[in-house]
Amino acid sequence: MADIYEKFLRLLEFEEDEMPEMLPAWRKACEKLGLTEDDMKFAMEERLPAHFELEMKGVRKMLGGWIRELTDVTQTLEYKENGVKLVYGILPLTSYFYYSLKLTAGEAVYAGLPDFQLAVALNMIFHKLSPYLEEAEAHGMSYGCHHCPLNKTRYAARRLGLIAAPDVLWVWGFICDEGPKSDEFINVYYDPEWKTYVSRLPQDQPLYSVEDEDVERVKYLADQMKDGFEFVQRQTGIKVTDAKLMEAIGIYQRYNKKYGELNRLMTSDPQPLGGLTCMVFSQPILNPFNTGIDHMESALDITIEEVKQRIAQKQGVLPKGAPRLMTWLTPVCVPWIAKMFENNGVGMTVSSLLVPTKKQMTKPPAFEDPYMVAAELWLRGEFMVNTGYEVEQILEKLETYKCDGMIFGFIDFDRFLGRDQKLMAKIVHEKTGLPVFYIEGDVWDDRDYSPGALRTRIESICEIIKMRKASQS
Amino acid sequence: MNIVEELAEIARTRPEKLRNEKEKGIKIVGYTGRFIPEELIYASGAMPYLICKGGEPEPPEAALSYMVKFTSPLARAQVGYYLLDMDPVIPMCDLIAAQCSDCHDGALADIFEYLKLPIMKVGIPQDWEKSLSRDYYYRALARLKDRLEALTGNKISDEKLTESIASINRIRDVLRKISLLRKEQPPPIGGYDFIRLNHYSFYCDLDYQAKRLNDLYQQLKQGESPFSKRVPRILLAGHVVSVGDYVVPKLIEDSGGVTVAQFLDEGIRHYLWDVRTGGDLMKNLGETYYLNRVPASIFQPAWLKRVEYIRKLIKDFAIDGVIWYQLFMEDTYDLEGPIVAKSMEEIGIPFLKLESSFEYSREATGPLRTRVESFIESIKRKRN
Repeated sequence: MADIYEKFLRLLEFEEDEMPEMLPAWRKACEKLGLTEDDMKFAMEERLPAHFELEMKGVRKMLGGWIRELTDVTQTLEYKENGVKLVYGILPLTSYFYYSLKLTAGEAVYAGLPDFQLAVALNMIFHKLSPYLEEAEAHGMSYGCHHCPLNKTRYAARRLGLIAAPDVLWVWGFICDEGPKSDEFINVYYDPEWKTYVSRLPQDQPLYSVEDEDVERVKYLADQMKDGFEFVQRQTGIKVTDAKLMEAIGIYQRYNKKYGELNRLMTSDPQPLGGLTCMVFSQPILNPFNTGIDHMESALDITIEEVKQRIAQKQGVLPKGAPRLMTWLTPVCVPWIAKMFENNGVGMTVSSLLVPTKKQMTKPPAFEDPYMVAAELWLRGEFMVNTGYEVEQILEKLETYKCDGMIFGFIDFDRFLGRDQKLMAKIVHEKTGLPVFYIEGDVWDDRDYSPGALRTRIESICEIIKMRKASQS
Repeated sequence: MNIVEELAEIARTRPEKLRNEKEKGIKIVGYTGRFIPEELIYASGAMPYLICKGGEPEPPEAALSYMVKFTSPLARAQVGYYLLDMDPVIPMCDLIAAQCSDCHDGALADIFEYLKLPIMKVGIPQDWEKSLSRDYYYRALARLKDRLEALTGNKISDEKLTESIASINRIRDVLRKISLLRKEQPPPIGGYDFIRLNHYSFYCDLDYQAKRLNDLYQQLKQGESPFSKRVPRILLAGHVVSVGDYVVPKLIEDSGGVTVAQFLDEGIRHYLWDVRTGGDLMKNLGETYYLNRVPASIFQPAWLKRVEYIRKLIKDFAIDGVIWYQLFMEDTYDLEGPIVAKSMEEIGIPFLKLESSFEYSREATGPLRTRVESFIESIKRKRN
C-alpha cells in the first residue's frame, strides 16, 4: 500500500518508471528538509487544492517539476563528493548561461539556484520556509532590516548543512545590491569556502531610455557577462562553445514564447486559469532547473492545450465579465493573496514582470555574438532596466491583456526592484487613468502579514475595481 | 567667535552666497555621494553644492508618496527637503550630478529626474577591481566633464583642473593634520566638531577655509584639550553622518566619551587621499575617487579590507570602543555591521550598533542616550 510520500509524488504526475529512483530520493530529501507526513498531508489536502487547478494534468506536472528540483537541491553535498562541479547563481539572472553549462557537461555539473528552489517549493507547496529564515536572522541577517528571504535562505541552507559550498557562485548583481553583498557576507562571516564571482551593471540610465537599443550599454553588459562566464568556465574546467550558448538561448526563447502564449490565453473571458498558476510557469525563464527545462516545458505544453479546451467549453476560474488586474509580481510563495482576489470576484490575471512584451516575442536580436544577444535580450526585460522603460512595457501589457487596474508592491525587501514601485504606480496611473494600488508585502514570506490583516484591503480594492468596471459597461 | 562656529556661520549662509553667484551668471552644480569630484566642478567655473542633509524626521516622511519606506532615510530626506522647500539650493541647481552606486542613491536620482530636476546620473560599478568597471567610471567622469563644460561654457583646462585639485588638496592636508592631533590623549578636538568641520568644508570658499583651518590647527596644537585625561576614545563607523545629523556625535561627548576617529563612507571629506597634480589629471581623479580610498561598503569585495582598516584605526588612534552608526533599512551596512562586530569581538574591542531614521523625538532619544551612556560607562569600568 502506497505511503503518503508516494501518494504525493503520484499526485504530481511522476511516472511509474521514475518511482523506484524518485521515491527513496524524495523520502531522503524530506528527511533533510524536515518535511513530515503531516506536511505531505497539508500540501495534498489543503495547500495545493486551495490554490492550484489540480484537476489539470499540466498543472500537476508543473508542481512535480518543483519537487523534482527540490529533491535535487538536497543532493549537492553528495554531488560535490562525487566530483560534480557546483555552479550556483542568484536572482535575477538569465537562465541560458546555466542551461548551456548543462547542455555541455550534463551530469558533471550542477547548475542552479538552491535558494530559489528551496524558497519557492518550501513555501508555495508546504508553507515551511520559516525555519530557514529564522536561522539566518539568528546569525547576522537581522529581521528588522527586512533582508531578502532568498538571501536568508541561501545563507541558512549553507549553515544548516543542506547545501554544499559551490565551486563558484556567479553573482548577478546587474540590478541588485543585496544579493551580491549577501554572498560576500556568507564568505566573510561564515564560510570562506563560499566562492563567488560578481558581475555588476550600474543603474544609471535616464528614465525612458531604451537600453537594449543603446549599443554601448549592450556592449558593456555583454563584456561583463563574458567576463563572468569565462570565470565560471575556468573554475569548473567546462568549456562552453558559442554554439552551445546560442542553443541554450534558443531553448529559452522557445519556452518564453510558450509562456507568452499561455498569457495570451488568459485574456479569454471567462479567465480560464488562476493567475497564480499561470505565473508559476514563468519561473524557468529566470531560474535554471538543474534537472532540465524539458519537464517544465512539457507541463507547459499540456497546460496550454488544457486551457484551450477550457476556453472552448467556456470554463473559467471567475465569472464571465469579471474584472482582471495586472500585478507587478504575483506572490508565488504567498498563494492565498491571488486566491483572495479571485474569491472576491477579481482576477490577478497577469504578472507584468515576467510576461514578455511584443518586442521580446517577435523582434529577432540585432547581434550575432551570443554575449551581445544575451545582453540585448536581458535589456529588453522589464525589470532589468530603468523605471521609465519599465513603465512603457507595463503600459503595453496593460493594453494587451485588457486589465482593469494594477497592483504594485509585495517587494518590500528588495531595494532595487522595490525602490521605484510607488513612482511606477504614480506614472502608470497618470498615463492610463486606471486604478493603481501599492500594497506592502513580501512575495516570498508572509510571516509579517496574515490573510486577516490583508483581507480588508483586498476586499476594498476589489470593490473599487468592480464598481468601476460596472460603471463603464 | 571660535573658528568652528565661524565656519559654521559661513556654511549656513552658503545658499545666499550661491544665489548671489547665480545672479552673476555662475552655474550651481549640486552633487550627491562620494564619487563626484568637486575638483571638476570648481575647474568648470561652477559652484558645487553637496546634497547630503539629514537629522530631521519630516523630510524622509514627506518623500513617502514617491518612495517606499524601505529606502534609506538619507535618500528619502534629500527628496523630502526639496518637496518641503527646506533646501533653498536644490531648486536653483543648474545641474545635479547624482552618483548611482546603490539602490538607494539610484532611487534618489530617479525621483529627482521624475521631478524634472536637471539630473545627470553618474554610474559607479561596484565590482571595482575589474578594469572593465574602472574604465566605466572613468568614462562617466569624462562625460561629466563634457557636461560641465557645456553647461558653463568654460573649458576645463589642465591648468584650471590642477588649480582646483591643489586647492582641495590643501583642505585635505589641513583636515588630515587636525585629525592626527586626535591621536593625543586627551585629544584637542572631539568628533562632533571634527565632523562638522568636514561638513563645513563643503560649503565654504576654499582659500578662506584653508587659511582658517590652518589657524585652527595652530590653535589646537598649542591649546588645552576640553576632554578629561581618561576620556574613553571612540571610533564612529558606518555609512554617514549627514549634514545636520549631529545627535549621535554629540551624545557620545555628552556621555563622557570622545570620537577620535571616524570611518564613514559619506558626508566626510576623504582627506587621507590627495589627488595627484601631475600627468593625466582625469585619470588621477578617477584613481583617487574610485581606486585608492578604502572601498565603500557597497563595493565588492570590500569588507575584509574595511575590517582591516578599522583595526588599523583602532591601533593608530588607541580606540577603546567602536560605535557602528547605520541608517534604517540600509541593507548593505546592516550586513556589514555583524562582520565588524565579530572582528571587534576577536580583538576585545567593545562594539555598539546604533540605527537611526532621523527620528530624534524625546521618546526616541531617551533609549539612544541610555545605550550610549551605558556603552561609555562599560568602557570606563573595563579600564578600571
